[in-house]
Amino acid sequence: MQIQPEALAGPIRERAKWSTAFGLLLAVDPRIDIPGIPNVDGAGVSELDASPSEGPISAPTSQPPTRVRLDPAELERRWSCADRAPERVRELRDGDTVLLTVELAPRVGYLLHAPGFGRILIAPDGAELICDPEPGSSEWSTLLPAQALPLAATLQGFEVLHASGVVLQDRAALFAGPSGAGKSSLAVALLRRGSAMLSDDTVALQPREGMLIAHPGAALLQLHSIEHERLSAHEHAVLGPPETFLGKQRYSPSVSASPAPFGALFLLERSTHGPSVERIEAVDPFALLASTFNLSVRTPERLTRHLDLAVALAATERVYRLRVQPGMNATQLADTLYERLPEL
Amino acid sequence: MASPSTTELLAARVRLPQHVVHRSFVAETVVLNLRTGKYHGLNPTAGRMLEALDAAPTAGAAVPELAREYGVEPAKIENDLIALCQGLLERELIEIVDADPA
Repeated sequence: MQIQPEALAGPIRERAKWSTAFGLLLAVDPRIDIPGIPNVDGAGVSELDASPSEGPISAPTSQPPTRVRLDPAELERRWSCADRAPERVRELRDGDTVLLTVELAPRVGYLLHAPGFGRILIAPDGAELICDPEPGSSEWSTLLPAQALPLAATLQGFEVLHASGVVLQDRAALFAGPSGAGKSSLAVALLRRGSAMLSDDTVALQPREGMLIAHPGAALLQLHSIEHERLSAHEHAVLGPPETFLGKQRYSPSVSASPAPFGALFLLERSTHGPSVERIEAVDPFALLASTFNLSVRTPERLTRHLDLAVALAATERVYRLRVQPGMNATQLADTLYERLPEL
Repeated sequence: MASPSTTELLAARVRLPQHVVHRSFVAETVVLNLRTGKYHGLNPTAGRMLEALDAAPTAGAAVPELAREYGVEPAKIENDLIALCQGLLERELIEIVDADPA
């Protein structure tokens, strides 16, 4: 969606679009389309008021909504009110090129800036996101599902794993591992076998009533060209046509409409042997801690929650090592996983 | 603050400060310093020593119980415990709250 400068001016008072993602109920400015996050029916329930002075909006559920709105002037006003110099808490680079920065001003929030895309200010409690797209950027809103919403979810008490996830036999199967290990390709192969997509890159986890709940993220799946070429005709059919985004093929498969109880976490490892699946008896807590998506929020509460999630995952005794040979066909890997499912 | 001597350390009451939390896993204890955001790993023996230190009236008082538990000479446990305490103190993962009046 390309934003025209005149569309950014002034407060709005229009119906919000409602969505859910990463465990959050989203009240979205009608001018924003969030890629991979479909709207849900919130008809007749509420209005989105861009003016913060007019109080909170009502929501279709008991969960307070997270407001997402376009308002560059308000972002600028708030950021300029920071009472001390913001701290840079994250910087993502590709060589000399800065891809993303996150700065923290404790009373104002976290400012994400992706040059070429725009800026998003996230309130300290994660309940409001104010967007400032770069003029002419047609893909700026990709920042929301890719970075801003997982950060907002973390601020609201969820722990977000850097993992792909599918719903397999009514439970969430999550796949974590280094970039290029084949997480997304495996998810595709499992979709073809009837699983539902939870999320391609980030899954929000929440302890609830003694169990862990995995929440769907964005229905966006990105594959490197080489992975795209390896897909079978059936897998292409499941995914639909791709679009090219930042040198990858991006698909929008349908995503599970509801959260799923945690089923298993598979840590993908490259290996000369394999494929193989084995339960890890003594899970390395640092492998679990390193699976987090979010390194920006370092409050004592969040750090403790991060550690407690690692404890909870280890306590499930359903953490597995999934060894993958380089260049392995994801369909074969999915077959191996299915063969072993009854024992897992 | 100067590092305490071995004698001072054994006579001291050692506690985990409020900015430190720890959690036990099957083969490791993770100690988290909430001020620095750093996670530290302890092997199971060191993890058990940390628990014993936190519960004992002095560091030295933890030695007999640990020696019994591991079937090792108290002198060996004492040396290991002192080395562990020094490492934890350097990283601000434990603090000396007071000395044994005796």
